[in-house]
Amino acid sequence: MKRRLIELAAAAGALLCFSGAASAEWSKTYVVEWNEAAMYYGAKTGVIDPGADCPKGSNPEVDWVGVLVKAGYSEAEAKWLRNPANPSRSAVHGQNQMAFRGKDRANVYMHPETTPDPGLVEVSGKIAEGINLDGDKTTGFSSPAGEKGIDNVFYKTLGCWKTYRGPPRLSSGALTMNDAMREGSWTVVIVVAGKGDDPMNDSEVDVGIYMSSDKLVKDGNGQVAHDYTFRIKPDSKFEAILKAKSSRGVITSTEAADEVWLRDPSYTRELQLLRARISLEMKPDGSLKGFVGGYRPWAPVYKGWVDARGPVIEALTWVQLPGVYYALKRNADFSPTGAGGQKTHISYAERIEAVPAFVMTPDASKVATSVVSYKASAPPEPPVKAVSFKVIDGLVPDPKVPFGDALKVYPVPSTVAATGSAATANGGR
Amino acid sequence: MTQRFNRRSLLRGLLGGSAVCLGLPALDIFMDGNGKAYADGAKLPVRFGTYFWGLGLTDTPTGGTRWVPTKHGHGFEITPELQSLAAVKEKVSVFSGFRVIGDGKPNIVHWSGHASILSGTAPVLTGSFDAPSFDTRIADAIGGSTRFKSLDLSPSGKVVNYSTRTGKAFATPETTPLALYTRLFGEGFQDPNAPNWKPDPNIMLRQSVLSAIGDQRLALMADVGRADQTKLDQYFTSLREMENQLSIQQQQPEKCESCVIPKRPDEPKRSASVDVVNANNKAMARLLAMGLACNQTRVFNSVHTPGSSETYIAGDSKIYHQYTHDEPTDAKLGYQPMSSKLAGMVMQGLGDFLGELDAIKEGDGTLLDNSLVLAFSDTGYAKIHSLENIPMILAGGAGGKHKSGQHIAAKGESVTRVSLTAQQLMGVPVGEFGSGAMKTSRPVSEVMA
Repeated sequence: MKRRLIELAAAAGALLCFSGAASAEWSKTYVVEWNEAAMYYGAKTGVIDPGADCPKGSNPEVDWVGVLVKAGYSEAEAKWLRNPANPSRSAVHGQNQMAFRGKDRANVYMHPETTPDPGLVEVSGKIAEGINLDGDKTTGFSSPAGEKGIDNVFYKTLGCWKTYRGPPRLSSGALTMNDAMREGSWTVVIVVAGKGDDPMNDSEVDVGIYMSSDKLVKDGNGQVAHDYTFRIKPDSKFEAILKAKSSRGVITSTEAADEVWLRDPSYTRELQLLRARISLEMKPDGSLKGFVGGYRPWAPVYKGWVDARGPVIEALTWVQLPGVYYALKRNADFSPTGAGGQKTHISYAERIEAVPAFVMTPDASKVATSVVSYKASAPPEPPVKAVSFKVIDGLVPDPKVPFGDALKVYPVPSTVAATGSAATANGGR
Repeated sequence: MTQRFNRRSLLRGLLGGSAVCLGLPALDIFMDGNGKAYADGAKLPVRFGTYFWGLGLTDTPTGGTRWVPTKHGHGFEITPELQSLAAVKEKVSVFSGFRVIGDGKPNIVHWSGHASILSGTAPVLTGSFDAPSFDTRIADAIGGSTRFKSLDLSPSGKVVNYSTRTGKAFATPETTPLALYTRLFGEGFQDPNAPNWKPDPNIMLRQSVLSAIGDQRLALMADVGRADQTKLDQYFTSLREMENQLSIQQQQPEKCESCVIPKRPDEPKRSASVDVVNANNKAMARLLAMGLACNQTRVFNSVHTPGSSETYIAGDSKIYHQYTHDEPTDAKLGYQPMSSKLAGMVMQGLGDFLGELDAIKEGDGTLLDNSLVLAFSDTGYAKIHSLENIPMILAGGAGGKHKSGQHIAAKGESVTRVSLTAQQLMGVPVGEFGSGAMKTSRPVSEVMA
């Protein structure tokens, strides 16, 4: 109610100031309470079940003993290494030894092409969430509502990976990242402003997506509280300003933004989107839901997972990271330098859900009623750290084990190493 | 580096006409930049303990709780993961729906939860608390008249404990039953029921060493930085406690009707597998219970398994921690079956622990009736390290002050309310606890007699 009164007051103020003007200005402000990669779930139950998207279900759990044997370990060594009774496993940091399974014991996280593509099951369904980025209705997926031309190759590539797969708000990755956001790791606010007299149908709408230093507040049910106040934090990188229109409450881009940067709800943290577009619906309950999409660079996606501790991510999400690398590289569908250039980017959409909030200008003097750039007033900031762990080459160094080449061969007891034919064939490793 | 003191310095003074010297701990100022090289108690006593287990209990976003009872107040039902508490159900209160409110501080996984419960403040850094753990307050209030002000246990074998006076240095636990036995009943133990008790002539303490070296102590404190002042303060405090202990040993102990010196345990089996941890936990609980009955201490802190628990089922290639994260929720069951199974096995440790305290008859009741144990974990839904709905349990009668046998269901209230409740049930003169949004002056009055 407080928020609605402010909207009315702003509208009335605008009428007073611009009496005789043809149209009234309006604005709505929000704080993002949930965001995740738009990954359509094609199964009717569960979070990994077979469905129209992934007919065999999510990527199956990896046989790590088999992976180690393929990399040259004897079966006895591999079983010894994977046995939690032995000192080669860490509850926190996983198993650094797992990195060294490339050619000549190269670190596969840093050098994924030193191992053959282990494969990654891709989405084979025809439905996806997202936005038609290229305007071509003959390519891409169909939306759940039947809209043609949805471009989301990121989903096609990684949509069967367990960490991304599941109904909205239930995939393990989305739960983890959004819990972190809700506990205060970052805050994103949205300002929507229009020139017409009907916010639901306006041909000239601006949308600004900004960072805020003010932390999200939870209500007694553990949900993000509505109508709290957040100041826009000028940021030299994270900001997105998009031109749009509204029709029946749905805000869609009227032109693509060349480049925007958002806070990515992932270990990558930084989300660059080229040719960015939005499709956001102003809901009757006051919330804002929809998508922001564009072409994102795929290499930082892979690096984000590596830097989040390669062996931990592999074990917990049932994937071989080199498989992710190969799949992203194989499917990338956009080159910033033109059709013939190297495809460094991949089409992507992010699902956003936001609730009403008071979004203030950076000096907190007034509610932000217009969409402007604050980049010029942003203080210089150090680069965003990828993750909080001390990670080197995808691994957290164990202070008790020398880091470097010594890790390539974990000191498996000689009685174990001596058993099995593969041990002999591979020099006892 | 201070000019007047180095790592070989001794604080000197006179004690009874004789010179006394006191060595110093390894202070920062003695280290190089890397810190790697030198440059009538008619009333039965009430005991208090904390009991921690890692990885919470199962409560999924789709409503698949395995531990939260549906019935509130008295007469709550025993849920699957609380099965091990069935035998002592009327002696425990279960708290659900309490959470950590971090005031925007990030969730430090496997750390923010228990740090907030114990210190009342969401920490800024992993590995440290921003305030002392409240068990030390209770130890100060009730632990001064026993041989040990408090005892710390870690049956998993890991050197992990969360009791701290400074927020930086944590208590060093006994990690095996044998080590705990030796500490409790080895050298220095005096049988309170021995017929011909005599003071130990080897204990000749007449005056505090700390008093004797007073001037030099103050000079040193003035010379060092804040971090070293904290270390020295803790060091001198521990010396004072040691002196108090020696002083106590000069006095004839009160007889303890339930005190029976236990048999020395065998060398421990070391493994993180849940059966071994539970066996060590039970053996240590039995020893601790007798240590409490023999009035060797009144405060304890036990960590069954740390936050990032490495425990596992023998023969399985996956550890519990991994299951909590990688096991998908079963579509039909609505929860993670292996995680839930392991949660039940880990909770068996708490059931065993409380069972040992309840097995010792004391007065009209049991040792558990004359104790209060706050059991808790680091997280709610472990898959995402949730700080919502962290399981907390108060066990024991607290000498008649705890109205147990209840399920208290909150909606997003701060965990510090339960921590404050524990302190007030133990008679600590404290009116509020915690800081920021977790600062509270409201104990859970429903469980207070």
